[in-house]
Amino acid sequence: MSVSPGIMPTSDESAELRAGSELARDHRGEFDRGHGHALPAGAKGFFTDTTVCIGCKACEVACKQWNQLPDDGFVFTGTSYDNTGDLGSSTWRHVAFIERPGAHPTTGFADMSWFEGDDAPSAPVAFGPDPQGGGDFSWLMLSDVCKHCVHAGCLDVCPTGAIIRTEYESVYIQPDVCNGCGMCVPACPFGVVDRREEDGRAWKCTLCYDRQRDGLEPACAKACPTDSIVFGDIDDLRAIAEERVATLHERGVDSAYLYGADAASQPGTQGLNAFFLLTDAPEVYNLPPDPVDPTHAVGAAWRSALVAGAAMVVAVAGAVLSAAGARR
Amino acid sequence: MSGSQDRHVDPERALLSGEGAGQRTGEGDHRFPVRGHGTEHRRPDEAAAGDGGTTYYDQPLLKEPIWIWSVPAYFYVGGVTSGAAIVGAVAQLVDRQGLDRLIRRSRWLAGGGAAVSTVLLIIDLGRPARFLNMLRVFRPSSAMSVGSWTLAAMAPAAGASAVLPAVGARRLGDAAGLGAGALAPVLGTYTAVLLSDTAVPLWQATRTSLPRFFAASATVATASALELFPTVDAREEAITRHLGMVAKVADLVCGEQVQHQADEVARVGRPLHEGASGALWRTAKLSTAASLAVSLVPVPARWRAARRILSAVLGTLGSLAGRFAVFHAGKRSTRDPRASFAQQRAGRGAAGVDGRAGVTGPGGQRATDA
Ligand code: SF4
Ligand code: SF4
Repeated sequence: MSVSPGIMPTSDESAELRAGSELARDHRGEFDRGHGHALPAGAKGFFTDTTVCIGCKACEVACKQWNQLPDDGFVFTGTSYDNTGDLGSSTWRHVAFIERPGAHPTTGFADMSWFEGDDAPSAPVAFGPDPQGGGDFSWLMLSDVCKHCVHAGCLDVCPTGAIIRTEYESVYIQPDVCNGCGMCVPACPFGVVDRREEDGRAWKCTLCYDRQRDGLEPACAKACPTDSIVFGDIDDLRAIAEERVATLHERGVDSAYLYGADAASQPGTQGLNAFFLLTDAPEVYNLPPDPVDPTHAVGAAWRSALVAGAAMVVAVAGAVLSAAGARR
Repeated sequence: MSGSQDRHVDPERALLSGEGAGQRTGEGDHRFPVRGHGTEHRRPDEAAAGDGGTTYYDQPLLKEPIWIWSVPAYFYVGGVTSGAAIVGAVAQLVDRQGLDRLIRRSRWLAGGGAAVSTVLLIIDLGRPARFLNMLRVFRPSSAMSVGSWTLAAMAPAAGASAVLPAVGARRLGDAAGLGAGALAPVLGTYTAVLLSDTAVPLWQATRTSLPRFFAASATVATASALELFPTVDAREEAITRHLGMVAKVADLVCGEQVQHQADEVARVGRPLHEGASGALWRTAKLSTAASLAVSLVPVPARWRAARRILSAVLGTLGSLAGRFAVFHAGKRSTRDPRASFAQQRAGRGAAGVDGRAGVTGPGGQRATDA
C-alpha cells in the first residue's frame, strides 16, 4: 500500500497507534480489573482522538446497551452515516460524520471514485491515497459525549441539587432527585442534557459511574476498537493527548490541536474532563468555539436586576406621592 | 410503562438495572426529527458556503428550552404579583388610612398572583409531584433556586397580608404586607436573570437589559391590572395612571435596549425581527405605545373610565406579548447554531466574560483570533 509521505504511520508506528500510547495501554490494565473494587477517587475522563475514529459506532451501541437506554426509533436522517442525530436523553454517545472535500487529515485518503462511474473498480481498491487522483471527498468522525465540564453549566444552575460532582469529578444527575424543572437543558453550552418528555426528568452520560464504582472503565471506551476513546486519569490523558498532537505535527498533520484539554485552553468551562483532539474548527464538529458556563456572567445580570428592582420601588413611590393632591 | 419493549430486553431473562433503565418512554417512541432540527441538511462544506459559516448539517448546537407556555405566563403573573406587593407596601407607608382600598386590592392581587404563580411553575415541571425538591438546597449560582426560595417566602406573606386584615388581624397583615413588598423587587426581576443563566444566545446577549425590561413590563402589568378594577376614586386613578405612564415609557426604552443588545451580533437578534417571535415583539411595542398614548389623551370626566380601561387592556396585552416574545425569540435562537457560533467568534462567549477565548486551532489559536 502506497502512502502519502509523512502522513501515514509506518507499520511499526501503526501498531503503536492501534493500542494508543504506552500510557493508554497501562490504563487498559489498570481500569479493567473488574474485581468489584471501585476505582480510586480523583479526576477521570475521556480523551477522544478524532483522527483514529473509524465511525463504527461501537461506543454508541455499548453505551446504549450497558445503560439500557431506550431506542430512538429506526430513522434515516440523510446526513451522511449519522442516523443518530445528536446527543439527548436516550443517546449519551453520538458519532458525527462530517463529509468534506479533500483528503482526510491523517490518512490522506480521498478517493471515492470506486463509489461511482463507469470505470469504478469491481472491488474497493485500497482507497487511492492520492488526493489529486479522482476523488475529492473524505470524512471526519467524532464520537461526542457529555464533556463533564470542570465548571458545568448544568450543575451550577440545577436548583434541586440533583446534579452532583462525583468522586471522579464527573457530572452526575441523580434521577431520584430531579424534578424535571428543565433549567439544565438550555444551560449546557454543548447542548448535551435533555429532558425526556414521557419521563419528565433530565438525562445524560454518567461517565459510567456504576462501572467505575465496580472498577471498570466506561462501556464506550471499553468497546472502542481503535482507542479513539481513551479513559483514564485526567493528568495522564493530557500527557497522552499532548504526545499524540506532537506526533501528528511531526508527521505533517499541522491542523491537529486539543479542544478543552485544560482551563487555560478553555476558560469558559475551566477545561473539559472529556476533551478532544480535532483537526478542524470546532464548528465543523458542532462544538462551540468559545463556550462559557452561563453562571460565570450571572453576576452582571443580578446587578442589573437589583437596580431595576429598586427602580420599581422608586417609580411606585413617585406615583403614590404624585397623587397626594388629587381630589377625592 | 413500556420500558422493556423499547429496550428490546425480555425482563424475564434480563435484569433492567442500567443507569437508564428507569427512563420512561412512550408507546412507539420516535425521537426524530430532532427538536429544532434544521430542514436544509446541507453537507457541512456546502453549508459553510451559505450564510453564516460552517455548521454540522444545520443542526442546532444547543438544546431548545423545554419550558412550555406556563413559563412566560408566569413571567407575567409573577410580574403583577411583584408590582402589586410593592404598591401595597409603599401605599401602606405613605397613607395607611387614606389608601386603604388600593392597599387591599394590591394585596389581593399579590396574594392571588403568588398562588397562581406557584401553580404555573408546578405545571411546567416534568415531575410535578417532586416540586418540593426545589427547596432541597439553596444554590446562589442558580437563579431558579434563588427565585424559588423568594417565591416560597413571599407567597405566604402576600397571602397573609390579604387575608389577615379581613379576619381582624390588621397589624399582622401590615407586617406581612411590608415583608412581601421587600421581597417583591427580586421576584419581579429574577426571571430575567434566570433566562440569561442559560447558554441561549439571545438571552445571554441581553443579560443586562432584560432585567430592566422585565421590571418595566411588570410595572406596566401591575398598573394595568389595578386600572381594571371597576370603581376607582380620583386619587387611585391618578396613582395607577402615573405609574402606568412612567412604566410604559421605561418599557419602551428598555425594550429598545434589549433589541439593541441583541442586534449587536446580527444573527443573535434575528428572532426579534422574524417569525412568530418577531410578530409578538412588534405587537408588544405597539400595544404598549398605544396604551401610553391613550392614557395621555385629555378627556372629559365621563370618558375617564373608558380611557382607563382601554389603556389597561392595551397595557396588559403589551406586557403579555413582551414576555412571550422574549421567551419564544430565545427558543428560536437556540435552533440556529450560527447564532452561538457568531456570538462566540465575536468575542461574546467566554472571551467577553472570563477575558480569554478558548483554543480553536493549532498553535494556541483562539476563537477570537481573526
Ligand atoms: S454543561 Fe453540558 S457538557 Fe458540561 S457537564 Fe453539563 S451536560 Fe455535560
Ligand atoms: S431538570 Fe432536573 S437535573 Fe435539570 S436542573 Fe432541573 S432538577 Fe436539576
